[in-house]
Amino acid sequence: MNSAISVRHLTKDFKIGLRGLKLRAVDDLSLEIPRGQVYGLLGPNGCGKSTTLKIILGLVSGTTGEINILGFPSATAEARRRTGFLPEAPYFHKFLSGRELVRYCAQLSGVPAVKMDDAVDSALELAAMTEASSRPIGTYSKGMLQRIGLAQAIVHDPELVILDEPTAGVDPVGAAAIGRMIRAMRDQGKTVVLCSHLLGQVEQVCDRVAIMDHGRLVLEGRVDEVLAQRDRHLMTIEGLTPEARLAAESTLAAHGARVTSVTHPRRSLEELFRELVTGSRDA
Amino acid sequence: MTFLEAVRQRFFAFLIVLGAAMVLSSVAFRFLDFGHGELKFIADFGFGGMFLFGSILAVVMTAQLFFAEMDNRTALTLLAKPLSRAEFLIGKFFGVWMILGLFVIILSALLGLVLWARAQELSLLAEQSGRVAPDFSISGLSIFALLQWLRLSVVAAIVLAIAAAARTFLFAVILGALTVVAGQLQWIAQDVLLKPTESVVYKSILWLTSRILPNLQQFNIGDALVLDSGTVAMSSIGWVILSGLLYASAYLLLGALVFRRREI
Repeated sequence: MNSAISVRHLTKDFKIGLRGLKLRAVDDLSLEIPRGQVYGLLGPNGCGKSTTLKIILGLVSGTTGEINILGFPSATAEARRRTGFLPEAPYFHKFLSGRELVRYCAQLSGVPAVKMDDAVDSALELAAMTEASSRPIGTYSKGMLQRIGLAQAIVHDPELVILDEPTAGVDPVGAAAIGRMIRAMRDQGKTVVLCSHLLGQVEQVCDRVAIMDHGRLVLEGRVDEVLAQRDRHLMTIEGLTPEARLAAESTLAAHGARVTSVTHPRRSLEELFRELVTGSRDA
Repeated sequence: MTFLEAVRQRFFAFLIVLGAAMVLSSVAFRFLDFGHGELKFIADFGFGGMFLFGSILAVVMTAQLFFAEMDNRTALTLLAKPLSRAEFLIGKFFGVWMILGLFVIILSALLGLVLWARAQELSLLAEQSGRVAPDFSISGLSIFALLQWLRLSVVAAIVLAIAAAARTFLFAVILGALTVVAGQLQWIAQDVLLKPTESVVYKSILWLTSRILPNLQQFNIGDALVLDSGTVAMSSIGWVILSGLLYASAYLLLGALVFRRREI
């Protein structure tokens, strides 16, 4: 099986109020997240991506549909044993040191006692938290909290890592460090699913993206492919005067300019995102 | 982890201090013994303090530790691990169980100390006046402490089952407190059941109530255990312990079943 996560016809309805009115949070979502890639799951607030994540993790049950993680039904302990999760704005017991937290999570995740020390040290090293690991979590900055959260998510060497807003509230330096950690996890062969509103970072880090809106999948594919505007062409021209830019290729050649390459122009992920979810193009 | 979190809370220390104050003050209030034996008064005062503050601790701390995980969303991180809902809930229970045990041990030790000190003084006085010296049983006090620990554990299990279904901390605390009161008065339902009545519905409701709610009064044999230990049969103590264990297990099971369906 090539999919790390397989979502088939997932629907989730929430009952609202005493009359039991239904709010459809996820609407017939089908998705295949391939292994060994960094996958961005994007969408505006209320689009259903957090609900989808929670259903994947077994925290919420879907109304209909099926989800498998690495070949196992998502609600099973086997699936969760192979998954690491960093929630949005993580909160950990402040009296624990970073090392104690990671060790505790390693125990819960079933890391054997003989491998415990190595696993904890490796996770702290990947998260660049070795030096601060003996300090209480209550003394950590926002960036350090996110990194220790990352360490607890990967301590049991999961095949799949799900990160919900891992760089929210983190400064650019810290965000870049987390981006490097995500790439390092991918290089280790892990599958990383990333939920983030920071589209610039998603564009840099992710191999594939899926965009959700109103509970439905709006777009899915490789980042390069979805961002390319195939109805337009980009020409790189040498010796081109400002006047000749406005003319066609033949007109440019007549003016002594030489076209050296033709590629598709690339818009930003942010532009695409806004276009899809608001239904209007930027000027 | 639950125990470590609970033992650091000021609320726990506050209740220990209040309970200890009540136990220690029993000596000062002994003139209110209404003609009963002084040691009995001190013991009753101490037992009362242990039950009152222990119940508050059991209800409030159990609910607080559960809802702290939900509200802080640490439950998200934990339940995303290969940890079943039942394991999560039982882990919470054992953390509370340990803190209740610590509470009972501290107050029982203090009560034992107070009883011993007063018994020594009364023995001297009795020798001088040629009367029989009052005494108390340390083994009886130990058994009583165990029963109180079990009683509070039953309360904690009930509150955990309520919390598994409740949406707010306040609701869980209020319902938990009412359950404790109902458990203390459950013997009334049992008494009424023994009386003849024509109403099948009435009798059914009472029967159900007397089975669903544990009779928390059955753990109130402190007097007999501590001051007249020979009058309590070990088989009776055994039945009380078995009943307590069954109720705690049943409510934990109910809580696990309810929590399994809860969306986090």
